[in-house]
Amino acid sequence: MKRLLVGAAFLVSCAASQPRLARFSTEWEDDGGASIGYVWRRVGGTPIAPTADLVVGVAGNADTLIGLPLGGGTKWTFAHALEARPIVSGRVVVASGGGELFALDAETGRPLWRRPTGGAELLGAGDDGTVSVVTLRRAGGLGSILLAIGHDGVVVRQIDSEKGLGAPALIGRMAFVPWAGQYVSVIDLDSGDETARVTLRAETSRAWTAGGSLWFGEASFIRFDEHIVDASKGRASTAMLPVRELPGMPKVMPPGSAPVPAEATAEDKARMYARPVATSEGAAVEDGRWYATYFRIAMGFDAASQRDTRSARPSSSRPAGAFAAAEPGRLLWVHLHAADLLGGAAAPGGVVLCDERGKVTGLDSGTGAVLTQADLGQPLKACVVSVDSQRVAGVAAEVKQLPAQLAEAVLADDPQLVVAQRLLLRELAAVSDDSATKALVELASDPRTSPDLLADARTALANRRSGASYMESALERHYEYLKDVLRSPPVGPMAQALGAMKDTAAAPLLASHLFDPADTDDDVLRAAAALSVIGGPGEVVALRRFFGMYRASAGNDEIAAAVVSAGRALLTLDDQGGRGVVEAAAAAPDTIPYARERLQAMLSETKPGEVTGANDAGGKRGK
Amino acid sequence: MPASPLATVVSVGLASILSLSPHLVARARAGESGGTHANSAQTEFGKGIRLPADAVKRLKSGDPSQVKSALDDVRLSARAGAAAVPAIVDLLADGLPPELAQEAIDALGDTESEAASSSLSWYARHRNLTLRRAAVQALARTRGAVAVKALRTALSDFDPDVRGLAAKGLGTLKAKEAIGDLFLALDHKVPEASRSIGLLCAGDECERLAAKLGSQPFEVMTSGLHEALLRASDEVPEELKVKIVGRVRELGTGEANRFLREVQAKWPKRASQRVKQAIDQAVLATSGSPGTGGRDAERKAP
Repeated sequence: MKRLLVGAAFLVSCAASQPRLARFSTEWEDDGGASIGYVWRRVGGTPIAPTADLVVGVAGNADTLIGLPLGGGTKWTFAHALEARPIVSGRVVVASGGGELFALDAETGRPLWRRPTGGAELLGAGDDGTVSVVTLRRAGGLGSILLAIGHDGVVVRQIDSEKGLGAPALIGRMAFVPWAGQYVSVIDLDSGDETARVTLRAETSRAWTAGGSLWFGEASFIRFDEHIVDASKGRASTAMLPVRELPGMPKVMPPGSAPVPAEATAEDKARMYARPVATSEGAAVEDGRWYATYFRIAMGFDAASQRDTRSARPSSSRPAGAFAAAEPGRLLWVHLHAADLLGGAAAPGGVVLCDERGKVTGLDSGTGAVLTQADLGQPLKACVVSVDSQRVAGVAAEVKQLPAQLAEAVLADDPQLVVAQRLLLRELAAVSDDSATKALVELASDPRTSPDLLADARTALANRRSGASYMESALERHYEYLKDVLRSPPVGPMAQALGAMKDTAAAPLLASHLFDPADTDDDVLRAAAALSVIGGPGEVVALRRFFGMYRASAGNDEIAAAVVSAGRALLTLDDQGGRGVVEAAAAAPDTIPYARERLQAMLSETKPGEVTGANDAGGKRGK
Repeated sequence: MPASPLATVVSVGLASILSLSPHLVARARAGESGGTHANSAQTEFGKGIRLPADAVKRLKSGDPSQVKSALDDVRLSARAGAAAVPAIVDLLADGLPPELAQEAIDALGDTESEAASSSLSWYARHRNLTLRRAAVQALARTRGAVAVKALRTALSDFDPDVRGLAAKGLGTLKAKEAIGDLFLALDHKVPEASRSIGLLCAGDECERLAAKLGSQPFEVMTSGLHEALLRASDEVPEELKVKIVGRVRELGTGEANRFLREVQAKWPKRASQRVKQAIDQAVLATSGSPGTGGRDAERKAP
């Protein structure tokens, strides 16, 4: 009833004039979309000019801006102290530092205006082509300033608020200002009044324009369209990214309510990128792709599982900021870059990324192939990429398949990549292609592989059921100090895989590893276990040798278990003499007790010729 | 009958060198005093005592104490114990506890029988490090292509002691075919390779060794150069030795001076006077180098 009264009052007010709300008041009660509906009707048809296609680098000691128009304009530089990350909006670049806020023409770098900040910190900026609206956090962090400045430098409006405001957008002299994580207040720059407000059901601290539409959000993309009136019911047109595991817990956007430092941090290197687009149903993600970076690695994902949440379950059943359940995005490609990636933006056709060397790279949305390259000319401290109308297009010099891309990424010798590599290794393990086995073998054999990654690689390798030839090649290698082969191949996991594949060609190679003291006990254990399955007459001599050498001198239970496996293989393969050898060992008092007991049990359970190559290793590990 | 001085030296000396078991010492003494074994024993130095007739039987007895006593006998018999090699090889193939396995390996080494090399080569890859080291040491005594091959493989072992023993063994075996491996080992910080190279090198190889002065620790290099300089002139020509001396001299250090004086002191009287002269001059030239103790100290040197 209360809402109906509020709505009725609003309609009466509307009929007379533009509504007025108490600006940024928390006393406000949801009007059911009435006020924002009014604004939609007023400015929804206003054409929104594209934002400049521009890369802005922060160089030097965070005292130089370098602008590189992606449409083919001339590179520009502008020297100025910087205390916050520059913002590209409309056709301007807004930045702050040295006690002043300033704007540059995005195309040329020409200064448009500058204002003292009084110690306030830049939060966000929007621009409609003639006026820029900027939010700043007051010195000391309490409260905000909303400042509207014409391109001629004249202050159109200044509003102080005790609230923490987010990054604003501007359309038709209406400033859309997110705040409190859930509201977007619409401030009429002419009157300074809050004319509308909308409650959003996803974390919202940013408003921006892209692709001719106005968007709100932080981790998702809520479109300002005719459905915005139902936003408080969770039915706004929304595009969101699938929930999936990513290294470094990256964000789509940093919170708009906190200043972003001028120099890039680790959060800039672990980021997600996606570009919302308007669709007939409401909102989607450009090309059905989204992207993530982690230091030198960029990844492309399928956004097929994204959906417009207007049809999702009612927002009341889930907390604010939590999204409808989504299928994990499928990894489509991986790009290993030469340097850490500092910034980027999703664009039509792909993603544009810039790195700490000052290189700008356009990657194809579908394959991750390098389509474009540009250079800001010097190393960067940070980088901002804005792409709105420019399409990532070009001819790729090389297009690698996903298994090859994954292999390249997981094999990169770069300790900071390990977290991403572990994730990519799991992706690689799921690829049945032989090349995946090859990469896993290389990874598990490389002495530079980190212990965490090594454990994962060995596990993945043990579960392979393809690529036996690569495993056989690896088994030909042994530790060789003089040849600088300082890590044995991953014998154990490969033995397990080859045993499961019944790859008899690997048997002599595995037999040779029974006598390699550089192999781990586990490797020997699993090699012997595999030989009890895939060993043939050709391995009898080695098995008897191993059995004899260790039945009374096994240094631990793993080697003793390997002796048992060798005994089992002898019973199977050497019907003439094998049983006698095993019986003698089972009876000999000097046989290691662990082995003797199991050999006796094995003999009592079998008659000559009955053993069929059971694997003792599993039993050992199960204890 | 009193023990001969030679028999006493042999028994006490062997016991101390080989850390023989009480049984072995007792047997050696029995040989001195004409006990049961002494009747059939032969104490000719180097050949050892004749292997008791029942040794092989005891090796095959399956009784650990009998086996152990037989192994002791084989060790004391040294080369004369070669007849027991097949039985010991069988024991190692069938498997022994570590302590007995080590005694068996040591015994095979003492026989210096090439027939033991194959069995030892397997134990040179045993996971028990003590057995592996023992096998590598034994291979240096049993000789033959199999031994050389096994020692070359052992140069790449992950245990530095095994690598060192293998390098040393290859020198002992005069395995010239392994000199390339030894250089590689020296470059891979296997210091024992230096001495073996010094023992085996010819022509350019000796020069190559000398050229490593400065890039390898001096004490590592001198172990090889010392051997090369003291070899006969038909193996390492005078001119080459003079070059080696010259390279050491160029170092001009106190340790170079000390090394040259050591070689000078050991230089055989009948050996090359030309090389001797080069050594003498080098000693004088380096006597003022830091750490030598000065020219006065040098003049007192032999």
